[in-house]
Amino acid sequence: MEKKPKNIFISGPVPAAFVGDSIQKHSTKTDIGAHSIFLGQVRDDVIEDKKVMAIDYTTYEEMASETMNEIREAIFQKYQLTCMHVYHSLGRVKVGEISLFVFTSSKHRKAAIQACEETVERIKGELPVWGKEVFEDETYHWKENS
Amino acid sequence: MPLTVSLFGQLSDITGSNIIEVENVIDTNSLINNIKERFPLIKDNKFAVAVDKKIIRENTLLTEQSLVALLPPFSGG
Repeated sequence: MEKKPKNIFISGPVPAAFVGDSIQKHSTKTDIGAHSIFLGQVRDDVIEDKKVMAIDYTTYEEMASETMNEIREAIFQKYQLTCMHVYHSLGRVKVGEISLFVFTSSKHRKAAIQACEETVERIKGELPVWGKEVFEDETYHWKENS
Repeated sequence: MPLTVSLFGQLSDITGSNIIEVENVIDTNSLINNIKERFPLIKDNKFAVAVDKKIIRENTLLTEQSLVALLPPFSGG
Protein backbone atom coordinates (compact mmCIF):
# COMPACT_ATOMS: atom_id res chain seq x y z
CA MET A 1 0.00 0.00 0.00
CA GLU A 2 1.25 3.46 -0.88
CA LYS A 3 0.36 5.80 1.94
CA LYS A 4 3.50 7.91 2.25
CA PRO A 5 3.06 11.70 2.01
CA LYS A 6 3.56 13.00 -1.51
CA ASN A 7 3.63 16.31 -3.24
CA ILE A 8 0.48 16.37 -5.35
CA PHE A 9 1.15 19.64 -7.16
CA ILE A 10 2.56 19.97 -10.64
CA SER A 11 3.30 23.15 -12.51
CA GLY A 12 0.92 23.72 -15.42
CA PRO A 13 -1.47 21.19 -16.97
CA VAL A 14 -1.42 17.41 -16.46
CA PRO A 15 -0.23 16.05 -19.85
CA ALA A 16 -2.30 13.23 -21.38
CA ALA A 17 0.94 11.23 -21.78
CA PHE A 18 1.53 11.48 -18.03
CA VAL A 19 -1.87 9.83 -17.45
CA GLY A 20 -0.99 7.10 -19.95
CA ASP A 21 2.40 6.49 -18.31
CA SER A 22 0.73 6.28 -14.89
CA ILE A 23 -1.58 3.54 -16.16
CA GLN A 24 1.34 1.70 -17.75
CA LYS A 25 3.32 1.73 -14.47
CA HIS A 26 0.59 -0.35 -12.82
CA SER A 27 1.03 -3.32 -15.15
CA THR A 28 3.54 -4.82 -12.69
CA LYS A 29 0.99 -4.69 -9.84
CA THR A 30 -0.79 -7.82 -10.85
CA ASP A 31 -3.15 -8.03 -7.88
CA ILE A 32 -5.02 -4.99 -9.24
CA GLY A 33 -8.28 -5.79 -11.00
CA ALA A 34 -9.75 -2.31 -11.40
CA HIS A 35 -8.62 1.27 -11.92
CA SER A 36 -10.79 4.34 -11.63
CA ILE A 37 -9.62 7.65 -13.06
CA PHE A 38 -11.04 11.14 -12.76
CA LEU A 39 -9.73 13.95 -14.94
CA GLY A 40 -10.79 17.53 -14.35
CA GLN A 41 -10.63 19.66 -17.49
CA VAL A 42 -10.76 23.45 -17.67
CA ARG A 43 -14.08 24.51 -19.21
CA ASP A 44 -14.74 27.63 -21.31
CA ASP A 45 -17.44 29.08 -19.09
CA VAL A 46 -18.95 32.40 -20.15
CA ILE A 47 -19.29 34.90 -17.30
CA GLU A 48 -20.95 38.25 -18.01
CA ASP A 49 -20.41 37.80 -21.76
CA LYS A 50 -16.72 37.01 -21.37
CA LYS A 51 -15.26 33.63 -22.18
CA VAL A 52 -12.80 31.90 -19.84
CA MET A 53 -9.55 31.04 -21.62
CA ALA A 54 -7.56 29.60 -18.68
CA ILE A 55 -7.53 29.09 -14.92
CA ASP A 56 -4.60 30.21 -12.77
CA TYR A 57 -4.34 27.96 -9.72
CA THR A 58 -2.74 28.90 -6.41
CA THR A 59 -2.65 27.03 -3.10
CA TYR A 60 -1.76 27.25 0.57
CA GLU A 61 0.72 24.46 0.08
CA GLU A 62 1.57 23.59 3.70
CA MET A 63 -2.10 23.22 4.60
CA ALA A 64 -2.95 21.47 1.33
CA SER A 65 -0.31 18.78 1.95
CA GLU A 66 -1.68 18.07 5.42
CA THR A 67 -5.27 18.07 4.20
CA MET A 68 -4.43 15.73 1.33
CA ASN A 69 -2.68 13.35 3.71
CA GLU A 70 -5.76 13.29 5.93
CA ILE A 71 -8.01 12.61 2.94
CA ARG A 72 -5.68 9.87 1.74
CA GLU A 73 -5.57 8.21 5.18
CA ALA A 74 -9.36 8.32 5.49
CA ILE A 75 -9.90 6.87 2.01
CA PHE A 76 -7.45 4.02 2.64
CA GLN A 77 -9.23 3.29 5.94
CA LYS A 78 -12.62 3.17 4.25
CA TYR A 79 -11.85 1.31 0.99
CA GLN A 80 -9.76 -1.71 0.09
CA LEU A 81 -7.39 0.12 -2.22
CA THR A 82 -4.12 -1.09 -3.68
CA CYS A 83 -2.95 2.43 -4.44
CA MET A 84 -4.02 5.98 -5.04
CA HIS A 85 -2.42 8.86 -6.93
CA VAL A 86 -3.50 12.50 -6.97
CA TYR A 87 -2.08 15.33 -9.07
CA HIS A 88 -3.34 18.90 -9.11
CA SER A 89 -2.07 21.71 -11.31
CA LEU A 90 -0.71 25.02 -10.08
CA GLY A 91 -0.24 28.04 -12.32
CA ARG A 92 -1.96 28.48 -15.64
CA VAL A 93 -4.04 25.72 -17.22
CA LYS A 94 -5.72 26.59 -20.51
CA VAL A 95 -9.24 25.65 -21.56
CA GLY A 96 -9.29 22.01 -22.65
CA GLU A 97 -6.28 21.05 -20.55
CA ILE A 98 -6.31 18.81 -17.48
CA SER A 99 -5.97 20.32 -14.01
CA LEU A 100 -6.84 17.39 -11.73
CA PHE A 101 -5.93 13.70 -12.03
CA VAL A 102 -7.17 11.22 -9.43
CA PHE A 103 -6.28 7.57 -9.93
CA THR A 104 -7.41 4.78 -7.59
CA SER A 105 -6.73 1.06 -7.98
CA SER A 106 -8.08 -1.98 -6.20
CA LYS A 107 -8.80 -5.67 -6.63
CA HIS A 108 -12.42 -5.03 -7.56
CA ARG A 109 -14.22 -2.16 -9.29
CA LYS A 110 -16.52 -0.88 -6.55
CA ALA A 111 -13.76 0.14 -4.15
CA ALA A 112 -11.82 1.86 -6.93
CA ILE A 113 -14.85 3.75 -8.28
CA GLN A 114 -16.24 4.83 -4.90
CA ALA A 115 -12.84 5.83 -3.54
CA CYS A 116 -12.12 7.87 -6.66
CA GLU A 117 -15.43 9.71 -6.43
CA GLU A 118 -15.10 10.42 -2.72
CA THR A 119 -11.54 11.65 -3.14
CA VAL A 120 -12.55 14.06 -5.91
CA GLU A 121 -15.44 15.42 -3.81
CA ARG A 122 -13.20 15.92 -0.80
CA ILE A 123 -10.51 17.62 -2.88
CA LYS A 124 -13.12 20.03 -4.28
CA GLY A 125 -14.50 20.79 -0.83
CA GLU A 126 -11.48 20.69 1.47
CA LEU A 127 -8.26 21.36 -0.39
CA PRO A 128 -7.10 24.99 -0.05
CA VAL A 129 -6.71 25.68 -3.76
CA TRP A 130 -8.03 28.74 -5.62
CA GLY A 131 -8.75 29.04 -9.30
CA LYS A 132 -8.69 32.43 -11.00
CA GLU A 133 -10.69 32.26 -14.23
CA VAL A 134 -8.82 34.37 -16.76
CA PHE A 135 -10.74 35.85 -19.71
CA GLU A 136 -9.42 36.51 -23.20
CA ASP A 137 -8.76 40.18 -22.29
CA GLU A 138 -6.69 39.08 -19.22
CA THR A 139 -9.32 40.33 -16.76
CA TYR A 140 -10.35 37.65 -14.28
CA HIS A 141 -12.93 36.23 -11.91
CA TRP A 142 -12.27 34.11 -8.82
CA LYS A 143 -13.95 30.74 -9.21
CA GLU A 144 -16.01 29.18 -6.41
CA ASN A 145 -16.74 25.46 -6.23
CA SER A 146 -20.42 24.57 -6.11
CA MET B 1 5.35 41.43 18.29
CA PRO B 2 3.45 41.48 15.02
CA LEU B 3 1.65 38.41 13.84
CA THR B 4 2.04 37.39 10.21
CA VAL B 5 -1.19 36.52 8.40
CA SER B 6 -1.37 34.80 5.01
CA LEU B 7 -4.19 35.63 2.61
CA PHE B 8 -5.21 33.90 -0.57
CA GLY B 9 -7.36 34.31 -3.66
CA GLN B 10 -9.50 37.42 -3.89
CA LEU B 11 -8.43 38.49 -0.38
CA SER B 12 -4.86 39.07 -1.53
CA ASP B 13 -6.24 41.27 -4.34
CA ILE B 14 -7.74 43.50 -1.65
CA THR B 15 -4.66 43.68 0.57
CA GLY B 16 -2.25 43.83 -2.37
CA SER B 17 -0.12 41.09 -0.79
CA ASN B 18 -0.26 37.46 0.26
CA ILE B 19 1.17 38.36 3.66
CA ILE B 20 0.24 41.13 6.08
CA GLU B 21 1.39 41.88 9.60
CA VAL B 22 -1.05 42.62 12.38
CA GLU B 23 -0.09 44.13 15.75
CA ASN B 24 -1.61 43.67 19.20
CA VAL B 25 -4.14 40.93 18.69
CA ILE B 26 -4.79 38.22 21.22
CA ASP B 27 -7.34 36.09 19.43
CA THR B 28 -8.86 35.46 16.01
CA ASN B 29 -11.84 37.77 16.61
CA SER B 30 -9.63 40.75 17.35
CA LEU B 31 -7.41 39.83 14.41
CA ILE B 32 -10.35 39.76 11.99
CA ASN B 33 -11.70 43.05 13.33
CA ASN B 34 -8.29 44.64 12.91
CA ILE B 35 -7.98 43.42 9.31
CA LYS B 36 -11.54 44.52 8.44
CA GLU B 37 -10.77 48.02 9.76
CA ARG B 38 -7.64 48.27 7.66
CA PHE B 39 -9.17 46.69 4.55
CA PRO B 40 -12.92 47.44 4.61
CA LEU B 41 -13.49 45.64 1.28
CA ILE B 42 -12.68 42.36 3.05
CA LYS B 43 -16.11 42.60 4.70
CA ASP B 44 -17.76 41.86 1.34
CA ASN B 45 -15.98 38.50 1.09
CA LYS B 46 -16.68 35.12 2.59
CA PHE B 47 -13.65 33.46 4.13
CA ALA B 48 -12.61 30.83 6.66
CA VAL B 49 -9.83 31.29 9.21
CA ALA B 50 -7.10 28.69 9.63
CA VAL B 51 -4.86 28.55 12.69
CA ASP B 52 -1.88 26.23 12.41
CA LYS B 53 -3.28 24.85 9.15
CA LYS B 54 -6.67 23.88 10.60
CA ILE B 55 -9.90 25.74 9.94
CA ILE B 56 -11.32 27.10 13.18
CA ARG B 57 -15.02 27.67 13.87
CA GLU B 58 -14.79 29.61 17.14
CA ASN B 59 -12.72 32.43 18.51
CA THR B 60 -9.21 31.10 19.13
CA LEU B 61 -6.37 32.48 21.23
CA LEU B 62 -3.24 33.34 19.26
CA THR B 63 0.44 33.36 20.16
CA GLU B 64 3.37 34.89 18.30
CA GLN B 65 4.00 31.48 16.77
CA SER B 66 0.47 30.97 15.47
CA LEU B 67 0.20 30.37 11.74
CA VAL B 68 -2.87 32.31 10.68
CA ALA B 69 -4.40 32.26 7.21
CA LEU B 70 -7.58 33.69 5.72
CA LEU B 71 -9.06 31.36 3.13
CA PRO B 72 -11.75 32.37 0.62
CA PRO B 73 -14.03 29.60 -0.71
CA PHE B 74 -11.98 26.85 -2.33
CA SER B 75 -12.10 26.34 -6.07
CA GLY B 76 -9.63 23.60 -6.87
CA GLY B 77 -10.17 20.69 -9.20
